[in-house]
Amino acid sequence: MPDEEVLEEGVLNPVKPEIQDPLLRALLADEPATAPVAADTPKEQPQAIEPEADEVDCVVIGLGAGGAPLLARLAMAGLKVVALEAGPWHNPEKDFATDEKAQDFLFWNDERLAAGGNPLAMGKNNSGTGVGGSTLHYTAYTPRPLPDDLHIRRDFGQGEDWPVSYEELAPYYEEVEHFIGVSGPTPYPWGPARRKGYPLAPLPLNSAAQLMVRGAEKMGIRTSPAANAALSARYYQEGVGWREACTNRGFCQAGCSNGAKSSMDVTFIPLAVKHGADIRPNSFVTEIERDARGYVTGVVYTQNGEQKRQRCRHLFLCGGSVETPRLLLLNELALTSGQVGRNLMAHPGLQVWGTFADEVRPNKGIPGGLISQDTHRPAGADFIGGYLLQSIGVMPVTFAGQVARGRKLWGQPLRDYMRNYNHIAGINILGDCLPHADNFMELAEEKDARGLPKPRLHFTAQENEQRMNAHAEKVMRGIWEAAGATDIWAFQRYAHVIGTARMGRSGDDAVVDANGRAFDVPNLYISDNSTFPSALSVNPALTIMALSLRTADKFLEQQQRRDR
Amino acid sequence: MSVPTYPNGTVRALLDTPHVSEATRAAVQARLDAPASYVPQFLAPETYALLEAVAARILPQPDRADAPIPLAPAVDQRLAEGRADGWRYDALPPDREAYRMGLGGIQEIAQSQFQADFTALNASQQDAVLQALASGTPPGATWATLDAGRFFEEMLAELTETYYAHPLAQEEIGYVGMADLPAWTKIGLNEKEDREPGFSS
Repeated sequence: MPDEEVLEEGVLNPVKPEIQDPLLRALLADEPATAPVAADTPKEQPQAIEPEADEVDCVVIGLGAGGAPLLARLAMAGLKVVALEAGPWHNPEKDFATDEKAQDFLFWNDERLAAGGNPLAMGKNNSGTGVGGSTLHYTAYTPRPLPDDLHIRRDFGQGEDWPVSYEELAPYYEEVEHFIGVSGPTPYPWGPARRKGYPLAPLPLNSAAQLMVRGAEKMGIRTSPAANAALSARYYQEGVGWREACTNRGFCQAGCSNGAKSSMDVTFIPLAVKHGADIRPNSFVTEIERDARGYVTGVVYTQNGEQKRQRCRHLFLCGGSVETPRLLLLNELALTSGQVGRNLMAHPGLQVWGTFADEVRPNKGIPGGLISQDTHRPAGADFIGGYLLQSIGVMPVTFAGQVARGRKLWGQPLRDYMRNYNHIAGINILGDCLPHADNFMELAEEKDARGLPKPRLHFTAQENEQRMNAHAEKVMRGIWEAAGATDIWAFQRYAHVIGTARMGRSGDDAVVDANGRAFDVPNLYISDNSTFPSALSVNPALTIMALSLRTADKFLEQQQRRDR
Repeated sequence: MSVPTYPNGTVRALLDTPHVSEATRAAVQARLDAPASYVPQFLAPETYALLEAVAARILPQPDRADAPIPLAPAVDQRLAEGRADGWRYDALPPDREAYRMGLGGIQEIAQSQFQADFTALNASQQDAVLQALASGTPPGATWATLDAGRFFEEMLAELTETYYAHPLAQEEIGYVGMADLPAWTKIGLNEKEDREPGFSS
């Protein structure tokens, strides 16, 4: 929970967000009087429910990386905005334990059905709930995509190109990096030169990162400290005050308790609250209501067991790649392209683990300390696209579960292997994925506790993903052998669900346009990784945030035009 | 490399220090204090006893003969409360049904291989039954409808995660990550804070 009392009024924000959109800049500069009075206190309690007739400008569903940035932007433009988040609003400093099991509440634990040849593990692998969404437990690994990530079809003749270019996104990447506080290397060794470097120096390298440097050097693979959205030094955050530096807890994937990791609840959400956004936690949306023209008029949601309605002029759907298409399918909304639920992609996230004579103690430090993008377009590859390499630390319960599933060790061999925990380090990839007709999300006949159909996710890694995995396994085994590892093994996994409501140039084959606006429903916007036309060979959170700000700017621009 | 071993008592000693936050202490202490006796809430007593016997082979604890880390209660409690972990293999029925069927199927393998109940077998016979299950193609009618490989993986993962969530199992592998206040400053190779235990091998 943001604590407004620590806000130091007299201190200038050294990283005041730079507004990219000239019209929004004008709006903010010309009409300060229209901005609502900043809320003095965060809204810990469920809000008094607005009477039915009380229509707001915008409702935002979901407060993760897709919803929070645009919520702040819309509130800053003086609009009356309400955010509905399915999960609770936590106080990490007080409530978050350094204990994996105790932190299970961060995950979307309603059951999803995993089908296909490579069923996708969900829960802690792939989902989140609460004010902040999945960013409450993301690893905060925030590399930018490289420009050709957005043009996989242009370059390889398969997959889809983005209707937005890297050049259009670059200012938004820069704004997000500077607003939330990304620690990383300047200059960045891969991709085009940047106007501004990262605002903070990289986080210190932990053992796994040091070992990967050792192995990669011998293999002739270039590495660099990675970009991580966790603070390597104190940082001033508007709406929060000073955020403290990372203490190397290594618990990013089970929740950061000191606010050093740049999750939405310590960055964009306090900013939104400061500018008057109304946050309603524990609010699960079930219905999207429309008028005769097909425009959205409001939503019905359940908050603490009570059914409520909120009318709105515009709706922003930001529930992630499972709940967003699920809501569309349940409400038979924006379906004419036939693409809702289709094009489900998941990043190949193959991990390679090894045992070292050195002491590693892999629970300490930012888990993904190191990166290499030398494998972005590997020479002589027999597959399309590419991947990045990342060193990985790991928490014990997560590691034990992977040992069970991946090595199928049990009995004394399992206990003996786990005793090597302090000597184990990993590398993993994050690779591009092509859409395929066999990979999609649908509503199952089986119902959940709310009486709604469970989502069923079909995923089978196709030839391209299999070839990429084979290539990557060879490279990673090579690095670990060169670094001196023994007992090397690979764990096949896929992370991030992407693409189930994709953006494109035409409503014939896409759900939303380049601005995130639904082709079928003029006052419906989608902002999350369901709109990604291709998977990208980098972690999605930074791009989700950048697109979220862009969608808000494009929306405000359009509103401004209409007003004139 | 020989298997490292770590001293006993490191976690309990750290729990009372300012290195552990309130929320962390509450979570860890609750697991240490869990009562040794447990009355099953969901599984029938004989099915629960079977689960206990299976768990004792999946994670044998000869070193804790008097007070093994309890594993079956977490499974039974979860099933009783209907809690999920966010996903399920589509190939498997809902968790309650999967465990009931799967444990029945383990009994079938025991009968087929040794003409006796699983709980009546000696340790190496029990291991042979579980090995047949782990292989993915065990004997028994149950396994015609229940995917043996997926069921074994799910059960193995749940028992393993329950075991390594216990502070004494974490101590066994030299993990004291719960004592992370005020910070970890020695995070590089072959570095450790004074409060982290050393190992012998």
